Amino acid sequence: MSLIDVRHLSKTYARRAETVTALRDVTLKAEPGEFLCLLGVSGCGKSTLLKILAGLEPHSEGTVLVDGRHLQGPHADAAVVFQEHGLFPWMTTRRNVEFNLKARGTGARERRRVAEAMIETVGLSGFSEKYPHELSGGMRQRVGIARALTTNPKLLLMDEPFGALDAQTRSAMQGELLRLWQARRTTVLFVTHSVSEAIVLADRVVVMTPRPGRIRTIIPVDLPRPRDTTAPAFNALVRRALAELHDDLAEAAQ
Amino acid sequence: MARLLRRVPIGILPLLALLAAWELAARAGIYSAALFPSPMEVWSVFTDEGPLLLRHTLASLTRVVVGVSLAFVTAVPLGLLIGRYRTLERLLDGTVQIFRCFPAIALIPLAILFFGIGEKPAIMLIWFAAFWPLLISTIFGVKSVERTLLSVAQVARASDRLVLLDILLPNALPSIITGLRLAAGTGWLTVVTAEMMAVRSGLGYMILYAQQIFRPDEIVAGIIIIGVVGLAFDQLIRVARDRLCRWQEGLVAAP
Ligand SMILES: Nc1ncnc2c1ncn2[C@@H]1O[C@H](COP(=O)(O)OP(=O)(O)OP(=O)(O)O)[C@@H](O)[C@H]1O
Ligand SMILES: [Mg+2]
Repeated sequence: MSLIDVRHLSKTYARRAETVTALRDVTLKAEPGEFLCLLGVSGCGKSTLLKILAGLEPHSEGTVLVDGRHLQGPHADAAVVFQEHGLFPWMTTRRNVEFNLKARGTGARERRRVAEAMIETVGLSGFSEKYPHELSGGMRQRVGIARALTTNPKLLLMDEPFGALDAQTRSAMQGELLRLWQARRTTVLFVTHSVSEAIVLADRVVVMTPRPGRIRTIIPVDLPRPRDTTAPAFNALVRRALAELHDDLAEAAQ
Repeated sequence: MARLLRRVPIGILPLLALLAAWELAARAGIYSAALFPSPMEVWSVFTDEGPLLLRHTLASLTRVVVGVSLAFVTAVPLGLLIGRYRTLERLLDGTVQIFRCFPAIALIPLAILFFGIGEKPAIMLIWFAAFWPLLISTIFGVKSVERTLLSVAQVARASDRLVLLDILLPNALPSIITGLRLAAGTGWLTVVTAEMMAVRSGLGYMILYAQQIFRPDEIVAGIIIIGVVGLAFDQLIRVARDRLCRWQEGLVAAP
């Protein structure tokens, strides 16, 4: 059974008199343990799709199944890493990482144990008692990822988590993320603007059209990891994804 | 040079200049000495009548602390709820906007009618004066929460209680403390005025009484105490803020 099973999904936002169609007739499946990247121009509805799968936004038409169940609001199977990292500035690293467990009513001692272990896993030992403003951008994203993983979600939703990082930190974080994912085999849906990021990470790259977002094409990436970004096969895929996106850009300009 | 300047507490210079001007004016004899006490005369009020000043200062202080504390424990929880629940806000917003415009001082006659002369009207008035700045700053602090943080809580399926206590309250804390500074300020102003009418003790009463027995030196001494206590309140709250809001970025530079 697919972990994500979205059929003929449409989403319109009603804003006063006008309505905005963010997604139209999206059909998408993801198997358990699969790493999908969602690639598309700004405003094509990537965040919207993510929010729907997280149960943060209701959809307008179609069916959305996660792990075989219809969504009714936020659910235990999903965790989200937000672009703006979404850390609580008044909580230390440890308390931030503990938050999702606390929300579930996990006891203080167990929470602390899991959080400390997770903090170590993401390479932040020694930073447990620091506040977010004392951490670098990359470290903050690690905290966000650690928090998302504490509950062992079946589905990890990531909305441009590395968008604000410099190129070097970004590629280091991609490696870290793959390492974490390979150890757990969580299904990941990863939103990005960057074509090469998508091809470094994904099993399949889902390319979307401009608004209203539809799925233009899905590019499978059958390269062994870690992927060599200078290899001809890698660059062929980049060119292909770019061509699909550029078609969109040309269309959008018309 | 610049570093040296930063270390000297230059904030004290204008006060010293004022003191010098005061002394000069007293010596020049612009006003009669009976009306215009010199700094030394006022100083002797502090040395000769210390116990009296202390008693009145403590009376005023106690009222402010009690009144502002009452305002704090009522306004902050209400503000959290109003900031969180849109329906409650729609229900109460108009009323809040009207009530916060009433100057507490204008309610003194009503408070005396209701509660007579004594502690009760004074404390009620301070509570009233301190309530609104605290309420409004709490609501503001709650509503300034980043949407992403609420989404994080939603995805984690955090309870309302957890959202209020672990997210909205700490998010509002810097704003609440700003509100507390305002509340302590207005509370302190209100107590002095209230004591001129509604109670028979405290600095306000002392100042008014000094006028009746023609003691301008006591009036000035009272005013100086009011200023110093007001300053001390503010400093105390700042220290508390620096303690409680260590997580805030760039707090060091904040005034
Ligand atoms: N809450 C909302 N109310 C109304 N319209 C919205 C809302 N959220 C998003 N939209 C609209 O839906 C469309 C898709 O938005 P979305 O945020 O999903 O795009 P995106 O692909 O994530 O863009 P970006 O890459 O810039 O983050 C946009 O036109 C946006 O204006
Ligand atoms: Mg987005």
